[in-house]
Amino acid sequence: MLDWLILVPLAAIILLNLPWSDFIRRRAAVLAALLAAAQAAMVVAAPSEWVSRASILAQTLHLHLAMTGLSRVMLLCIGLAMMAAACVTQVMFSDDFRRRANFVSLLLVSLLGMNGAVLVTDLFSLYVFIEVTSISSFVLIAFTLEKKSLEGAIKYLILSAVATVLMLGSLALLLLMAGTMDFAGIKEALASSNGALVAKLAIGGFVCGLLIKGGLVPFHGWVLGAYSASPAPASVLLAGIVTKVCGIYAMIRLATSVFPPNAAVNQVLMLLGAVSIVVGAVLALRQTDMKRLLAYSSISQVGYIVLGLGCGTPLAWAGAIFHLFNHTVFKSLLFVNSAAVERRTGTTDMSRLGQLGSAMPLTNLTSVLAALSTAGIPPLAGFWSKLLIILALWQAGVKQGQAMYFVYAAVAVLFSVVTLGYLLSLQRKVFFGKTPENLELLGAAKPSGWISTPELILAAVTLAAGLLAPLLLLTGSFLVPTGSF
Amino acid sequence: MNEMMLLLPILIPVAGALLVLLAGRSSHSARFGLTVLAAAATLAVAVLLFPQANNATGITFSHAWASPMFSFELRLYSLSAWILVAAAAFALLVTLYSWHYMAGRPHGMLFCLYLLLTLAMVCGAMLANHLVVLLFFWEGLLLTMLGMIAIGRPGAWKTAFKAFVIVGISDLCMTGGIVITGLLAHTLRISDIDHLATTGLGGLGMALLIIGATAKAGSMPFHSWIPDAATDAPLPFMALLPASIEKLVGIYFLARISLDMYQMSRESWLSMMMMVVGAVTIILAVAMALVQKNYKRLLSYHAISQVGYMILGVGTGLPAGIVGGLFHMVNNALYKSCLFMTGGAVEKQTGTSDLNELGGLGSKMPLTFLCFIVAAASISGFPLTNGFYSKELLYAGALDRGLIFYLAAVVGTFLTSASFLKLGHAAFLGKRNSRHDAVREVPFSMLLPMVLIAAVCLLFGPGNALAVDHLIRPSLSAAAAGEHHLGGLLPHNWLLAELAAGAVLLAILNHLAGWRRYGSGLHAVDHIHHAPVLSFMYDSAAKGWFDPYIIGRHIVRVVAWIGWGMDRVVDWFSDGFWVRTAQFGGWALATAHRGRYALYVLWCLAGAAAVIGFLIRAM
Amino acid sequence: MTENSINIVLVAALVLAALWTVMTARTLRSAIGLAITSAILAIIMFRLASPLAAVFELSVCAGLIPVIFISTIGLTARVEEESMAAKQREKLRKYAALLVLVLVVAGVLVTMHLPNDFAAPQGPVPTESPQVVMWDLRHVDLIGQIGVLAAGAFGVVILVKVSKRA
Repeated sequence: MLDWLILVPLAAIILLNLPWSDFIRRRAAVLAALLAAAQAAMVVAAPSEWVSRASILAQTLHLHLAMTGLSRVMLLCIGLAMMAAACVTQVMFSDDFRRRANFVSLLLVSLLGMNGAVLVTDLFSLYVFIEVTSISSFVLIAFTLEKKSLEGAIKYLILSAVATVLMLGSLALLLLMAGTMDFAGIKEALASSNGALVAKLAIGGFVCGLLIKGGLVPFHGWVLGAYSASPAPASVLLAGIVTKVCGIYAMIRLATSVFPPNAAVNQVLMLLGAVSIVVGAVLALRQTDMKRLLAYSSISQVGYIVLGLGCGTPLAWAGAIFHLFNHTVFKSLLFVNSAAVERRTGTTDMSRLGQLGSAMPLTNLTSVLAALSTAGIPPLAGFWSKLLIILALWQAGVKQGQAMYFVYAAVAVLFSVVTLGYLLSLQRKVFFGKTPENLELLGAAKPSGWISTPELILAAVTLAAGLLAPLLLLTGSFLVPTGSF
Repeated sequence: MNEMMLLLPILIPVAGALLVLLAGRSSHSARFGLTVLAAAATLAVAVLLFPQANNATGITFSHAWASPMFSFELRLYSLSAWILVAAAAFALLVTLYSWHYMAGRPHGMLFCLYLLLTLAMVCGAMLANHLVVLLFFWEGLLLTMLGMIAIGRPGAWKTAFKAFVIVGISDLCMTGGIVITGLLAHTLRISDIDHLATTGLGGLGMALLIIGATAKAGSMPFHSWIPDAATDAPLPFMALLPASIEKLVGIYFLARISLDMYQMSRESWLSMMMMVVGAVTIILAVAMALVQKNYKRLLSYHAISQVGYMILGVGTGLPAGIVGGLFHMVNNALYKSCLFMTGGAVEKQTGTSDLNELGGLGSKMPLTFLCFIVAAASISGFPLTNGFYSKELLYAGALDRGLIFYLAAVVGTFLTSASFLKLGHAAFLGKRNSRHDAVREVPFSMLLPMVLIAAVCLLFGPGNALAVDHLIRPSLSAAAAGEHHLGGLLPHNWLLAELAAGAVLLAILNHLAGWRRYGSGLHAVDHIHHAPVLSFMYDSAAKGWFDPYIIGRHIVRVVAWIGWGMDRVVDWFSDGFWVRTAQFGGWALATAHRGRYALYVLWCLAGAAAVIGFLIRAM
Repeated sequence: MTENSINIVLVAALVLAALWTVMTARTLRSAIGLAITSAILAIIMFRLASPLAAVFELSVCAGLIPVIFISTIGLTARVEEESMAAKQREKLRKYAALLVLVLVVAGVLVTMHLPNDFAAPQGPVPTESPQVVMWDLRHVDLIGQIGVLAAGAFGVVILVKVSKRA
């Protein structure tokens, strides 16, 4: 019953916004967290026949949903990130429960949108759900109504509008060519289009739109403002999963099973991925604010995913998807840590922070784990995914005899080191180092369980994924995108 | 049962050392009493084992250890049996001597500890039948030597370090030699290594082993730490290690190498190398000894010089030479330790060993003086002393191999005699320093060892057949030992004996002449010191130009400076260059990200146009 | 030929109107400019033989939305003339570069000799009227669009709710 993944969040939204449901509103964040956790658990443990039971939405609205291997991974990521965001929400808006309930409603809209996006089988519905997610993101960013939040939201809105234009235009052209919007029909139409200009325009336009949504260089202008200006739970969600679903998942889905395999598209993806890695890392080195640094780091890591995607071989795709999963986990973890720091000290400016390691030991430890995983240090998970991508690049370079693959592989390795550099620098500035004079520790000395729990869970997931990765790769069922489309 | 007893000479001193360590702050007498007891027990065990071990097979003890290649093997047989007894005896005597000597000096506990550990290591090295086991004990000797020097005068640690480095380097050579030997023989058990060829790799292996053995004994060029140790380390250390035990161990191993392990023929380059090293050591060391003004330093140079005789002897490859070398080893241990003990006695009673300040002690310390005379006569090769007979064998062997070696030995004798005449005159005869009027003879515990050793020196003179024909020759193989009796009261070659006696006489005459000319015994050999070429060499040696250790330190300093320079360059590259590049890149990009969203939209549109255009062209 | 020239004139007018909408300093004028731009767009749609789309465009984008904007702007306070003029000059200066960029990009695209064969391989073209297409064939899309609108409205409501409390 895949419908539940869409209908249950809808029901929860309605429930939260009924006039006399203060009782539920007080527990809104808890509800959302449990929902997300249930989703993650279901993905891992659901029997397959439950998945393929007849769907209400298909019968009434002709909205067909299907769960592929890739969708499974994405649903798990969505569940984990949403759970982390909901837990952080519980502590961030602890004074006004109604406001918190509103925030949670927006989170649930986002959840609905993302679940739909990874489950649908036609292009227009994909666009619709991406738009729903983006709309909820706009409001999530602007929620606190501060000037910089509004500014970040407007930037995202405008650039998203550009993406929308590109995507809608392409959708129109594709409808013209195929007469239908579902993946199979479009795939057929594109395969038989024989290189018509219209087909190229459509593919190019759609890809550009997705690149904007995904936040790759040079379409990344909105990322910084959106991630750093939004309230903490929204950052967790945005960095953790929204960009991935809207931009990257769609690209993976289209590139691997809808659009015909094409060397030019692959080259574009690899080039933009490599440039994103470089630009993101170089800019991250200079940052003095935690959230800005993590925002640029996200750009860099998404670059790795797209680099793997562009390489084109199954091994590279497996690496890209694994890295997507890992990125969700460790980026969410890092943003949860920054939320914890912000709650404790009231600021995320690294020049004013220092020596929080003793005051916040769990945050310190999980931050180190996340940093090492991001940088690709064995035996954590990030190492395996980066290794797969680099190996795939090397193999492709050897097989096709082109030097660019080796250059990309070298860039990937080199900037892993740079990643380690700026993340360790963050670690040192925030958790170690000398205590600056006017840093007061606000709030409760006791760490909130609502922040510790997601930290622990995410850290455990990245550690377990790293230790079990060889096993997962051998069985492979989780990651290979080809097959059950 | 007997096999297990082989472990005792090692275990008893170690047990004693542990007890001393545990005893901690006990009294001086308790400590030294314990040490004497342990040394005596070790001697008793060695003596007990001697009758059974004194044959070709001996007693063996073997126990599996790490792998089939590495087993713990001990063996006591004819050659090592009597050397073990000698080593244990010397240790006991030195311990007895140091009881009174070390009274009132600091670090008593450490001294006893190191002394017992040294004894254990030496016994282990003698007993070892496996090259790795030998190496273990050999290195142990290095460490205890380091410890013993370091507890001497304040600032002795520099000398200790120098000794450590020099002997350590030679030990490294020996390790290399052991590896090569093991490879060539396919086994590491010493008794199984039989007459390897000395060509090619074998020659290298033997040379490395010889370096290790002779350096331990104190030959050139690994000698420069000994004179420094003479002044810095506590005196019983000098009497024990460089004088006696290290010679015993080193020359014993040298004999094993050249007689048993490798087939050294008389014509090979190794034999020539050993003889040359021996000859050079004799001459150079005794020349340095001649001009020393410190009692202990003078004796230490002689110790180096005497090793030259031993190496020369073993290197000849002739029965006379080999037997002479081994006999000289024993004799040297005897009279050298006795001489050091007299030096220690003088220093203990007067508080100084500077020859400029000493004088006229003969009447105050008669017994010490008597021991000194006996020992000095022995070392000079005075007829009827043990030194005379061992040198006789050495002259015969050296002359057979080459006239120049014989001449080196004789000149060495001359200079040795001259320097001991000077020493004895300066310390015991002549005018007495008024400060030393109250000096008395040393107590019994210090006298006994000296007298005993002097007596044995005299015994081994006319009674040298006891040592030569009944101990040394039976322990060697037939080829090495030769067919004739080599001992006996009467010399075998009257010409050589007369020449030797003549050399001693010449030295006495030279001394008398010098005394008359300069007016004091101390300066009696100054005419040699200030001879034209020699004075230049003496001055350079005093400045340390000929000291390999000091030369090595200069070289190391230059190499370190070059290495530092190279490291700076690499550092700049890795720390400066990359960081600057990254910073510039970051600044350049950051100026482009000022937050104007119009710019961002422009990037998007331009990017989209570029991507779509590229795709249209290339798809 | 005249067909083409009318089209060119219309497109040029559309672009100029849009530019004026964005560049003008006063929000009221921008709202009016939005209406004008949408009207020109509706005319183009009529010429492209899609009356249904043109009607929707005219009624919603050129009618309803500008009305909402203008009534909201009427509730806000006026801004001073001098700061308005300063802002206008500021904007003109910033966007002057845009013209240069457009000319450069156009030049590049022309010299790239991009293919301009826009004949699309047409799939099965439905012969029914647009209403039938929208309600029967593509109602999934319609419901999706309604869903997007609902999400947008919901988000705005939440923002507004927040501001009430704040």
